Amino acid sequence: MSLKHDIEFTLNGVKRRVQVDVTMNALAMLRDVIGLTGTKYGCGEGECGACTIQVDGVSLNSCLMFAVDCDGREVTTIEGLANDPQADALRDAFVEHGAVQCGFCTPGMVMQADHILHKHEHPDEGCVKRGLEGNLCRCTGYKKIVDAVVACGATEK
Amino acid sequence: MNTVAEKKHRVIEPDSLIGKRIRKMDAPEKASGRTRYIHDINLSGQLHGKILRSARIHALIKSIDTSAARALPGVHVVITAADIPDQRPIGVAKDHFPLKVGRVRSQRDEIAAVAAESEEIAEAALKLIKVEYEDLPVIGDPEDAIKPGAVLIHPEPHGADGTHMHLKQGMSIAHKGKPDNIAMRFDYSHGDVVKGEAESDVVIEDTFKLHYVTHCCMGVSGMIAEFDASGNVLMYSNTQVPFLHKREFAEYLNIDPARIRIIQPPIGGGFGSKLDIYPFEVICLYLARAAKRPVKMLFTREEEFLASPTRQPVLLTLRSGCKKDGTLTFRQVHTLHDNGAYTSWGATTPFVMMQTFSSLYRVPHCDYHTAAVYTNNPYAGSFRGYGNLQATFAIEQHMDMLAQSIGMDPLEFRMKNAQDAGEVTGQGMSFKSCGFKDCIRTAAQRSDFSHKFGENQANQKAPGTVKRGIGMASMLHVGGGAKIYPSDGCGTILKMDDFANVTLITGASEIGQGSETVLSQLVCEELGLPISAVTVVNNDTAITPWDVGVHASRTTFIAGNSAIGAAKKAKAKILAVAAKKFEIAEDYLDLRGGFVIKADSGEAVIELSKLLRNLHFQDKAELVMTTFYYEPPSVHQDKGFKGDVSAAYAWGTQVVEVEVDTETGIVKLIKVTGAHDVGRVLNRLGIEGQIEGGVVMGQGYAFTEDLMIENGRMKNPNFRDYKLVTAPEIPEMDIAFIESMDGEGPQGAKGVGEAPAICMAAAAANAIANATGVRLFELPFTPEKVYRALHGKTPKLYWKPWKAE
Amino acid sequence: MTELKHYYAPTSLDQAVECLKDGDVTILAGGTDLTPQSQAGRIKFKHTLMNIRHIPQLSGITLEGDEIRIGALATITEIMEHPLVKQHLPVLVEACDHFASDQIRNAGTIGGNICNASPAGDTLIPLLVLDARVELASMPEDKLYRHSMPLSTFFVGPGKTRKSLCELVTGVRIPVPAANHVARFYKLGTRPALDISTISIGVAGCLNGGVLSQVRVAFGAVAPTPVRAEQTEQALEGKPLDAATIEKAAAIARDEVHPIDDVRASAWYRKEMIHNITKRILGHVAQA
Repeated sequence: MSLKHDIEFTLNGVKRRVQVDVTMNALAMLRDVIGLTGTKYGCGEGECGACTIQVDGVSLNSCLMFAVDCDGREVTTIEGLANDPQADALRDAFVEHGAVQCGFCTPGMVMQADHILHKHEHPDEGCVKRGLEGNLCRCTGYKKIVDAVVACGATEK
Repeated sequence: MNTVAEKKHRVIEPDSLIGKRIRKMDAPEKASGRTRYIHDINLSGQLHGKILRSARIHALIKSIDTSAARALPGVHVVITAADIPDQRPIGVAKDHFPLKVGRVRSQRDEIAAVAAESEEIAEAALKLIKVEYEDLPVIGDPEDAIKPGAVLIHPEPHGADGTHMHLKQGMSIAHKGKPDNIAMRFDYSHGDVVKGEAESDVVIEDTFKLHYVTHCCMGVSGMIAEFDASGNVLMYSNTQVPFLHKREFAEYLNIDPARIRIIQPPIGGGFGSKLDIYPFEVICLYLARAAKRPVKMLFTREEEFLASPTRQPVLLTLRSGCKKDGTLTFRQVHTLHDNGAYTSWGATTPFVMMQTFSSLYRVPHCDYHTAAVYTNNPYAGSFRGYGNLQATFAIEQHMDMLAQSIGMDPLEFRMKNAQDAGEVTGQGMSFKSCGFKDCIRTAAQRSDFSHKFGENQANQKAPGTVKRGIGMASMLHVGGGAKIYPSDGCGTILKMDDFANVTLITGASEIGQGSETVLSQLVCEELGLPISAVTVVNNDTAITPWDVGVHASRTTFIAGNSAIGAAKKAKAKILAVAAKKFEIAEDYLDLRGGFVIKADSGEAVIELSKLLRNLHFQDKAELVMTTFYYEPPSVHQDKGFKGDVSAAYAWGTQVVEVEVDTETGIVKLIKVTGAHDVGRVLNRLGIEGQIEGGVVMGQGYAFTEDLMIENGRMKNPNFRDYKLVTAPEIPEMDIAFIESMDGEGPQGAKGVGEAPAICMAAAAANAIANATGVRLFELPFTPEKVYRALHGKTPKLYWKPWKAE
Repeated sequence: MTELKHYYAPTSLDQAVECLKDGDVTILAGGTDLTPQSQAGRIKFKHTLMNIRHIPQLSGITLEGDEIRIGALATITEIMEHPLVKQHLPVLVEACDHFASDQIRNAGTIGGNICNASPAGDTLIPLLVLDARVELASMPEDKLYRHSMPLSTFFVGPGKTRKSLCELVTGVRIPVPAANHVARFYKLGTRPALDISTISIGVAGCLNGGVLSQVRVAFGAVAPTPVRAEQTEQALEGKPLDAATIEKAAAIARDEVHPIDDVRASAWYRKEMIHNITKRILGHVAQA
């Protein structure tokens, strides 16, 4: 029997309590225990960024985080961002700029882009590219994703 | 407030969606994380399937013991080849079984499979399966596969007394084996190369080596299979060719194809990887059949690397000649394709490669030979560009080298030999629309090619460790489908509801490329409706009409023409009804902005939705529902590979600018200037995305991606050491579109899906040569490879042309 | 499936080192390495998984006398954005900037990077040339015991250090460099970050009238651990940093390292790059 542990944390603004396998990563907890599938598995090794979430206000790879380490923390996933009116502009920018093709990397991209925009008021192209270096995309060639984030940063505030 | 009178006199201004930047219809869902990919779908009662793969590269299986795995709590089914007596051979050459029988031939080979309550239990069960092997010699190099006395990868079975077993004719390679390691061969020629060579002032010959890369779709492979109580099969699959696979799966399960239904959830990338049926899919079906429960199977990323197809690796020797005046005289090509242990679509890439050699430039004499040979390496599949990246890499380097050897400007040399509209090539391809010269001219002008080329060349020997280079390459690719199967067609069903909304039911699959949006655009253009009026259904074989599949850059062209056909029929019916009702001749009516209008003045006659309700809710009630099947006017190639295989051809030129750090070998890609003959731009946002994505995929092929295989074993099955291009590495991109308005294309458009990836490696090689004076014949251009070449540490590649007898 | 029997998240250093007493503990900090390694079965859990996140003594970046102390739990992002580090240790900021990706920098800790003891560990090269010391805590009897050792003696092999199973790395201490101190870091690769180094180089010293003293040179990814290059240091110590010295030092550096062939590069290329980049960096230092 695998070791279980109860944790309590805030997920997308809602407090919740959940029992997890101690060895499980946060990605598996979100997808398989809680049932939020917007956060994607791409590699399980922190190389692709498809599983990016935000914890206590910073972006992380949920595949590189133990589920038990969510205890007491504030976790935001793409589903949480999708309900956040402030993130509407970012989502719209992705749509308007053609930053979405197969869309599999997109939730992770949006989560990381949101983090970049919180950290830098008006990020330029170079800043956005560096910010997205941990997010792989095989369809778009990144240009339209970078354009979307830069444009969103330029209009915000 | 609108009165009836006002409405009647309202004038609807002309408008068009063609060429506009149209948002991808499914983008909002995807950007919100709401889209459910196969990974996100779970059926009640579902089990999880996992596959045990070979621990050896080439070996006989002496025994398999699954007893401990079967005894593990939570395990429902464990299968090996012995448990599936009705296994049928799969693959393009029917040369292997989903679960391997008696012998493994590559690292990815499937030995056993488990269906269990959870992935963890399934994995634990795999660890309990004991397999005894007897190792066989490994062929890791295709050149070894053709040596006399080479170990056979698919030996003919022997009887107990050691004599050859006499097997029935027509049995597949999986049953009867093969007396040599040659999986496929292709021999093509036009003209007389001996004569061509005799007429040449300059002849050059070089060997080029193209490496393994793989698709790396961000969504790993997976599927869910379920049998209902009557034995009908429901599959959730990532296939790009649902209708072909429906038939094939039926064959593998030995059931009527009518009993198979394939649903395609949104797919996390395709790029050609999902054109063949792979063992895991059939095994998933076996597990579901045995367990009588739905079975879901997902790869890990490591498994995705190990057990996915690759781009075809190629060893190629090219001999080319020209006259002093710059006229090409001949080309002779020999290639050795490393087939891997089994045959998938990679072996058939010569279909495309020979087109580039025979027809990209006018060449009077051309001779082409490929042998695809079995080894113990991973097997190669189809991948965006389908051999064209490899062919273009060789041919466009030789274009520069020939130009240099006769002292001609490389741009002028290309213009002199480039194809024009009206040409019928030696291979029988007929270029009805051809913007090739415009592509070359445009890309050269926008990048200031000639000026920079000369300047960089002069700077090669100047002091300084960083050298700039500029290089050019062009491509020809099918742009109006490719008639490989009995049909290259696509069906459409179009229905309109009583609010003038359209449901567009198309056979064409959406794999992220934006087909749903462009097809909607074409329908709206005919029916005068906004994009928001269309719902697309494109993912269920029980509903959608037949289509040959997403490949060969064909969807916009073929499915587009099909959608237009259905829309035109709907329009004709609507106008006929309106003509009768308002007593205006049909010719004087049109559809625009949701209204039936008078064609000359734009004056609104009636709201379209109202007219549809009138039609529907009357005594002789009728609905507007139409169907259309489009088959392009292309032909099958003859036995000599000649024929006009596509209804249109796409052209493109890319100019690449690099900076080479000669102290480290690091090549920085600075800028890519592209000019693509796309017929006509339909969705500007979508087509830019296709080109940019293709350019960066080509960048990865040229510079960063390298799937390292040593003696059949993959050394870097992860994103840490298999390097996709990341955001900070992308070049500046300047993309121009040449609109040659193809007569057969939908609104004049041609296919472009594969085109942008094709030229990059060739143009990069030419740019590095322009920067440093050193030419690289082997991909990828990693820092170490470039550094070695710059320091004279790369021995000259040479593969002696060889042809299967 | 696992021998893991206990999960523990102590809230004080005393609790943590007490738990470590029997040595049968897997320590979890940022998790960026432990998570994938354990998922893939490459690391086996011990009896207890101890999450050290909630121990206040392991956090923070502070000036203590003439040393900067970086708590073991400081993330790479926190380090590169901290005013003290930016002001006094720009070479560490430079290395942090080449570390993995933003997401990993936000989670990965300096303590984890040190304990992983990767031959290619990005922060380890600047820490070596900055004469960093590793702080360790344990509870040999019933009392907390803390001591430190030079980082240059800490590494034993890939993933292996001189830290005992009963010890916890609590932080790293770096002397505040003198005003004339110069330091450079270079990581060879085609990407700004998210790349395992083919080689990395750190050079530091005090520059007086074109002469370099207290020279520190360290190389990554050329040996089983990050290494100081003592012969190269000697070739530079007290010499005017002219073209001849630089060329000589670069040649010694090339001979001093004994890298291996792997999927990222051949030994030959690594040696060439040690030579070329050492030369390039020293040239930059000479111009500083």
